[in-house]
Amino acid sequence: MRFRERTPLLWVFVQAAVVVAWCFTDIETGPGAGVTLSYQPNGDRFKIEGRAIVPGVKTQDWVSTARILVESEEYVGFVRTDGSFAVNDVPSGSYVVEVVTPNYRFEPVRVDITSKGKMRARLVNYIKTSEVIRQPYPLQIRANGPHTYFMKRETWGWTDFLMNPMVMMMVLPLLIIVLLPKVVNTNDPEMRKEMEQSMNMLNPNPELPDVSELMTKLFSGSKGSLRYAIEARVFKCNFFPLGLLYRFHYQMFEKAQLAF
Amino acid sequence: EEQTAAMAKLLLLCLKFIVLCSTVESVFEDQVGKFDWRQQYVGKVRFAHFDTHVQSSKKVLLATEKNVFASLNTRTGELFWRHVDMTGPEGNIDALLLHGQDAVVVVGNGRQLRSWDINVGGLNWEMVLDSGSFQASCLVGQQDVVKHVAVLKKTALSLHYLSNGHQKWIENLPESEAVDYQAVYSGGNGEVYALGVVPHSHIAIVAYSLEDGEIIKQTSVEAPWLSDIQGSCAVIGRGMLTCVDSPAVSLYTLDLHGQSEMTQIPLQSLGLEVALGFQPVLVSTQPNPARPPLSEFFLQLGPEHHLLLQLNNDQIVTLRDFKPALLVSFATSGEKTVAAVMSPKNKTACSLNLFSAETGRRLLDTTLIFNMDPFGGKPETLYVQAFLKKDDSVGYRVMVQTEDHTLTFIQQPGRVMWTREEALSDVVTMEMVDLPLTGTQAELEGEFGKKADGLFSMLLKRLSSQLILLQAWIAHLWKMFYDARKPRSQVKNDVTIENLSRDEFNLQKMMVMVTASGKLFGIDSKTGSILWKHYLENIPSNAAFKLMVQRTTAHFPHPPQCTLLIKDKDTGLASLHVFNPIFGKKSHVNPPALPQPILQSLMLPVMDQDYAKVLLLVDDQYKVSAFPSTKNVLQQLQEIASSIFFYLVDSSQGRLSGYRLRTDLSTELIWEIVLPTEVQKILSVKGKRPNEHVHSQGRVMGDRSVLYKYLNPNLLAVVTESTDLHQERSFVGMLLIDGVTGRIIHEAVQRKTKGPVHVVHSENWVVYEYWSTKSRRNEFSVIELYEGMELYNSTVFSSLDRPHAPQVLQQSYIFPSSISTMEATLTEKGITSRHLLIGLPSGGILSLPKMFLDPRRPEIVSEQSREENLIPYAPELLIRTEWFINYNQTVSRVRGIHTAPSGLESTCLVVAYGLDIYQTRVYPSKQFDVLKDDYDYMLISSVLFALFFATMISKRLAEVKLLNRAWR
Repeated sequence: MRFRERTPLLWVFVQAAVVVAWCFTDIETGPGAGVTLSYQPNGDRFKIEGRAIVPGVKTQDWVSTARILVESEEYVGFVRTDGSFAVNDVPSGSYVVEVVTPNYRFEPVRVDITSKGKMRARLVNYIKTSEVIRQPYPLQIRANGPHTYFMKRETWGWTDFLMNPMVMMMVLPLLIIVLLPKVVNTNDPEMRKEMEQSMNMLNPNPELPDVSELMTKLFSGSKGSLRYAIEARVFKCNFFPLGLLYRFHYQMFEKAQLAF
Repeated sequence: EEQTAAMAKLLLLCLKFIVLCSTVESVFEDQVGKFDWRQQYVGKVRFAHFDTHVQSSKKVLLATEKNVFASLNTRTGELFWRHVDMTGPEGNIDALLLHGQDAVVVVGNGRQLRSWDINVGGLNWEMVLDSGSFQASCLVGQQDVVKHVAVLKKTALSLHYLSNGHQKWIENLPESEAVDYQAVYSGGNGEVYALGVVPHSHIAIVAYSLEDGEIIKQTSVEAPWLSDIQGSCAVIGRGMLTCVDSPAVSLYTLDLHGQSEMTQIPLQSLGLEVALGFQPVLVSTQPNPARPPLSEFFLQLGPEHHLLLQLNNDQIVTLRDFKPALLVSFATSGEKTVAAVMSPKNKTACSLNLFSAETGRRLLDTTLIFNMDPFGGKPETLYVQAFLKKDDSVGYRVMVQTEDHTLTFIQQPGRVMWTREEALSDVVTMEMVDLPLTGTQAELEGEFGKKADGLFSMLLKRLSSQLILLQAWIAHLWKMFYDARKPRSQVKNDVTIENLSRDEFNLQKMMVMVTASGKLFGIDSKTGSILWKHYLENIPSNAAFKLMVQRTTAHFPHPPQCTLLIKDKDTGLASLHVFNPIFGKKSHVNPPALPQPILQSLMLPVMDQDYAKVLLLVDDQYKVSAFPSTKNVLQQLQEIASSIFFYLVDSSQGRLSGYRLRTDLSTELIWEIVLPTEVQKILSVKGKRPNEHVHSQGRVMGDRSVLYKYLNPNLLAVVTESTDLHQERSFVGMLLIDGVTGRIIHEAVQRKTKGPVHVVHSENWVVYEYWSTKSRRNEFSVIELYEGMELYNSTVFSSLDRPHAPQVLQQSYIFPSSISTMEATLTEKGITSRHLLIGLPSGGILSLPKMFLDPRRPEIVSEQSREENLIPYAPELLIRTEWFINYNQTVSRVRGIHTAPSGLESTCLVVAYGLDIYQTRVYPSKQFDVLKDDYDYMLISSVLFALFFATMISKRLAEVKLLNRAWR
């Protein structure tokens, strides 16, 4: 159920992202300008350098749990106490570089190293593998927040329960039914007359509002009013006798208002 | 009253809505640590140093054979931090030097030099060194200040600043082709010595100036008896190179500062003898790298014989003779150096004592008792942490490493502060065994199991067992009441072997884990506490293990029985270890001796009269032996021999062959498939898990017809990889073969791909993951097999009678990470939907619903696919961190995931192992058969009470009203 509803939306997002990405891609894709040469002392092995940043957190609080994974665990690097890192002894090729910590989320970056040691960093795109959206090199990888591992529980206390429209709908009229005869002396002939008059005035009432509308009106401002409205609508169609009940209560409600 | 009834109806409706709206998918924050636990390990310790630069420091730094560098809390044994490097020689830790709060580590055969801040656990600096194989390293100081580290390689000596790692100088070693330089030494006098040897000829000594690396002096000293400096020499006192030569039974000394000839001191002149065939060992200590080593040293002359000697003006004096002494070690605190000596006390305990290094006198009140585990290994290494007490005497704690990779930290007078079972960092295979019933439960079971013997006695038995149950129940109530009065923290829920019993949903099990070192563990799956351990000695280092449960706990009074097949990978020779998985005790059942190499082993569902499943072992003569091999078993085997088939894989020849058992327990070849090794090699062969249940025979389509699954229990998934690994020509192949007939059911090839390939084979599907060399990404592929709209023979599946080839559907996806291991969830009856559990290199364990890997995912959504709940095809599978079953409890280097069904259909038990062990429960289709743990009992009960009272009150009111009306 959930997946079926979600996936098309996601797909649209992905497509949108691709389109946006296309727009921003620079035409010149060759590893030309702005590359740094970083030869190692010997051989044709190179060094991938960069810096990882977790905004608002001291580096010493997270560096001990961080690792730099190049193409999963093919090459491993560690983060210095200032947040910078280097992965040594990497031969030329194309690699996905990731900063892995259990608590913070970093986006992976693809780093291409030519056989001469020219470096280039770009966004990872597994679908369009040749697409180039440049990233700064030496890498600047900024955490985009903590990992979200947990689902939020739907907590609800007494207030949520009482503010539920259906509960209110049942409780309020009940109160009215019980209390109204006590407050208003129905045996008083004057009062009875007045009530009859008002009944005639209101009945038939062409502007009796829809349940859902009433509900949205009543609870607009409270969170999730839309959901309540929908529920109320479902309620209305499925439970016709209860709908009638509501109609009755509504009239009583108005009467009570008039009475005071 | 009508009102209240309506209200109740409405409330129920409300509740229904709420239940439907809240969909549960992953871990909730309040569930952290409720069903799951993690244990982190580091591996067998290679180097260990106690942090001494701060008094009362709680750190010990460990570098291990698993390429892990870690800091442990000495009070608790828990990790402060841990850094896991690459596996293999690139991440190998060659040396660990500790200076102040910096730890200098040489990694990858001298390729990298790293300095770690031990407080933070972060890297200070990292240097790539010149190539050349690493020989030795040391800290270099001058005038009591240590500022440099020297690294000796095969051809060069380099000096680096400790503060930033920069190279101060690098000098080539003279005559490095002929001389084997093995040691580097500095005594704090501004010189660095490189010591080399030309085996059986001479020692070469090169002294470099600390300032500029200039060679100050170069000498060569005759030593025709010497072949290895590291093994037989040590620098003692003010630069005296001391070596021991066992054939001549002599010590040789040489002053590095000027002598050109070695002085021979025969051990006989000291009144000493070397144990037969023992290579003597010298142990010296240099507490401060800026000063020369102490002139006291240890000489080991036999496996249990050590001597504390002193070098005094070229004279060697015996300070103390330790015999028997298993292990010795020096330790320094402040200016005081002590020697700790471990000597055997009795069979199960050792005693440790502290001696003054200067005089060899025993220090008072320093005895410490180390109790050895009777099922563990012998002590192997001793690490001593010495500290000064308030009265200026020396106190100490020791960390003992035993052969079975256990670390024990002991305080005086023998209190074990913690133990770490580092063997568990290398779990090879495991099984989850049901816990036994409690005594009372077993009593009840036994009553039904036994033969009836008369009405009256049966009745008595019945009554007595009911009485026992009642008694147990009252005891349980009493305990609950008693515990409830105590504060929660004091209530101990210690699990011991005695009080182990199966819980009502069979969620708690015994995890039997087999480690590469040959140590077996029994771990309680609920708490992670180790309930038993058993170290098997003489396990070959390249052993392969296969663990099988021959008898479960269901056959009371027969004890459960596990059999471990241990096979030497080179020779193929195997042995069996039979044990009780609940208590870890070796079984009294004697396993057969296996003189021939074993090719294959298989468990049959056939049981002997004691309910032990029969294990068949096929040797290299293709002869089959059975265990147990009672008459009953052999008879049964004869009857069913014609329906027992097995297969053998010879990956070096690329040969797969199928055999059938004959009644005389010989075998006959039925089929053979040869995959030419010039083209491709077999990576793995995967069958289905024997304990897997498939609940539904087919899938209901959108038009209400049924697509039947092809459920062949004999199907094998054979994964091959091309021998040619060129990017354009490499491929990964998947062969689906019927294991009985050898018929190739399906063949799939993924071009421009390579391994490693991870496979899960279950029900009617195979999921595999490989690396696409063309697109440089990981890809998943899923194959599903269907019989079609009609089932050929719905009652039983026979490989020999299936005329129609199955319909094969396949789809592939991109996966945005490589994977370490993969397994599918398993539940008791197979009703619950399946998830794939994927171990990622980042340490996360992803629970990916199988419905994402479904070859029927449509590219265009239709009404029918919507009806079937098919997700539209998307090329990329997403990794959502909400699907990580282990949230931030990452599992390093995850190598295997074990899944086991529980007594609840919704729940699958999961154990992931690698460097760490993580245990949890997963609910692939949510918890449909139990109330969720956030179920609001308060709400439901208060609503019920409210309704009840409302009814009562309104009833009362109505009565009053009626009465009043009657009076009117």
